[in-house]
Amino acid sequence: MTGSLVAQSEIHARRILIVDDEEANILLLSSVLEREGYGNIHTTTDPTAALEAFIRIEPDLVLLDLMMPEVDGFQLLEAFRRHDRPDAFRPVLVLTADTTIAARRRALALGAKDFVSKPFDVVEIALRIANLLETRILYERLRAGPA
Amino acid sequence: MTVLRGLTRFWADRPLALKGLVVVALPLAILLGALVLLYAASNAEVRAEEDVRRAVAIQRDTYQVHALLAEAAAGVRGYALTGEPRFLEPYRKAEAELPQTMQRLDEAIRDPEVRGHFNRINDLTVRKREGLKRIVDLADDPAARRGEPSLIEQALVANKIVLDAMRQEIDLMQRRESVLLEQRRARVDDVRDRFLLLTAISALVGLLGSLAAVYLFSTGIVRRVRMLEANAELLARGEALTNLPEDADEIGKLAQRLARASALLRGREQALRESEERFRLVIEEVRDYGIFALDRDGTVTSWNLGAQRIKGWEADEILGHHFSRFYPDETRAFLPGEMLERARTAGTAEDEGWRLRKDGTRFWANVVITALHDEQGELRGFAKVTRDMSERRRSEEALRVAREEAIAASLAKSEFLSRTSHELRTPMAAILGFGQLLELDEDALDPRQREAVSQIMKAGRHLLALINDLLDISSIEAGGAELENAEIDLGELLQEVHALVAPVVSAAGLQFSLQGPEQPLIAWADRRRVVQVMLNLVSNAAKYNRTGTMVRLSCRASGRFVRVEVEDDGPGVASAEVPRLFTPFDRLGQQNRSRIDGTGLGLALSKRLIESMGGKIGYEAPDHGARFWFTLPVRPPATKRGAGS
Repeated sequence: MTGSLVAQSEIHARRILIVDDEEANILLLSSVLEREGYGNIHTTTDPTAALEAFIRIEPDLVLLDLMMPEVDGFQLLEAFRRHDRPDAFRPVLVLTADTTIAARRRALALGAKDFVSKPFDVVEIALRIANLLETRILYERLRAGPA
Repeated sequence: MTVLRGLTRFWADRPLALKGLVVVALPLAILLGALVLLYAASNAEVRAEEDVRRAVAIQRDTYQVHALLAEAAAGVRGYALTGEPRFLEPYRKAEAELPQTMQRLDEAIRDPEVRGHFNRINDLTVRKREGLKRIVDLADDPAARRGEPSLIEQALVANKIVLDAMRQEIDLMQRRESVLLEQRRARVDDVRDRFLLLTAISALVGLLGSLAAVYLFSTGIVRRVRMLEANAELLARGEALTNLPEDADEIGKLAQRLARASALLRGREQALRESEERFRLVIEEVRDYGIFALDRDGTVTSWNLGAQRIKGWEADEILGHHFSRFYPDETRAFLPGEMLERARTAGTAEDEGWRLRKDGTRFWANVVITALHDEQGELRGFAKVTRDMSERRRSEEALRVAREEAIAASLAKSEFLSRTSHELRTPMAAILGFGQLLELDEDALDPRQREAVSQIMKAGRHLLALINDLLDISSIEAGGAELENAEIDLGELLQEVHALVAPVVSAAGLQFSLQGPEQPLIAWADRRRVVQVMLNLVSNAAKYNRTGTMVRLSCRASGRFVRVEVEDDGPGVASAEVPRLFTPFDRLGQQNRSRIDGTGLGLALSKRLIESMGGKIGYEAPDHGARFWFTLPVRPPATKRGAGS
């Protein structure tokens, strides 16, 4: 994290939405994020409520499970894209136990910015999350014009 | 008999030109002979008639001699008695004519007997003339007249005696001449008879000769030509020829050539017949194809067993009927005509559709109609081949269903695997994730807790490896292995693997040697999977080589394959264990399990991966140590399996 263009505090202040039907996973991810210092974490185990949460919270990053009952991650990816501004850079990190290449390709094609297989390395996932948020912050700065 | 036969043979063998010459020359020669005979006969007749004429002349002249002398004698007597000169007229006439007559007689007489008489007559004539002369002289002598008249008397008497002798001689001669004349007349008759006979014989011989010539022609040549003609007729009808004698003349040669031609023709005909018969049998016995013929209008003219089997009609039930009855109601009105028209114009017409059997049931048929033309290009009819496709249609249907089911099953299996993967990995994520979190904050733990977390992590990782391998194997076996085959450079790959696994090998205290290919070596395989197998084999070698010093990774071309070997100088594999090497969970030396990490699925997975890429994997025991090898195809197989798609 050293040498970063964006201050740690700014990254840790960002809103993160976690969508996973497994309570244990939500707990794990929350633990990892809290341990890193993130303070604005929103979670839901109900995929049908995910879109509503996405619209309401307007997260800077979404951690999304793919395999869920009723509404799966692919459908949510599409829904998020449909309900967002076209120029909004709102990265989604897909986390899934489906290790097939097909699933990976499909998710990335639907707009996911990163893809991590479960089980994952907690250090690695923390780094990827920070990277994505940093990119988003830099993008926002770019859009806002020269500081 | 032998001579006759020899002659016949000789005659038969002469060329036709000679035979013709003989046939024409023979009657000519006979005719010529007859003419010669005729000429000779007429000559003989002429000669005979000449003889007769001569005989008659002789008789006439003889009488004339007698008459002249008798009249002369009478005149002379008269003169002597009267002295009247007019009585001397006959004497002078006789004197004038006798020499000529005697001359004629002398010339004419041929017969010696007659000549004898003639000579005597001649003498008597001379004497008579002398006697008459003396009388005339005496009569003229006046002395004698006045003298002794008896001298004249005596002379007259003597003359009379000479005349009598002559008369007698003439009678004899005349008699002889008469005999001769008879003889000559008889000869003339004889010659005439002979001539007549000869003419008759000539006519007969000429006739016979002509007949013989005709016979020779008709029975010899004409008969043989007729036989030849008959043979030619037989040849034309393709029947066996009558055996003709092998004469050496033109007809004989012609007959032999005809016989040869016949033999040749019959040989060809036989071959053709046999071939036709074979063909017919084949067609008739073909059971899977209905093969039959149609005339120009579409009437069935032949029927084979296949047609009977497929359509149900016996030959005698369908021959003579129009083929439109094979078509169901909805197509019968137009399709049969259309098919024939298409065959007529394009040569052949093919169709696939419903056809009717005798019992009215339908079958799905493939039909090919081919137009048949004769040598002049005239349409003779059609050949129709019908195949019952119902079976194939059914099997295609069954195949399609089976394929769909298989795809569905495969999808279901993939779905199941995917779900299983998810279901197993999700809790593992929690276990390993929280375990890792605890490890990260181990300062907060006491040593016993630290040890517990370590054991949880170790078991968790092992479990995850097991799950991964198991899912891999299952997905390969389900045909759902995601192979991304491409041309891969083995030399490069070996370098990569060497770099990846070198730390593990050196950690085990072994030397890691690499023996790459001398030339670029390309294989058709999934790069990631090949690396996976190589890593497995090399890490196995590092793990199990507890006693040796090295691990060697090498690679070379082997025909249409490339061969990769991983060799070590460790304890190797006991020969009894070799058959179970690639069996899941059958880790060798169960006693080693506690000491050596691994899922027990590595080799089983490697085997499945290599085989799914079209290669082979195996183990062989070198003199010392262990050697695992696998092969990969150089080129993609001709028929790509749908695996991985």
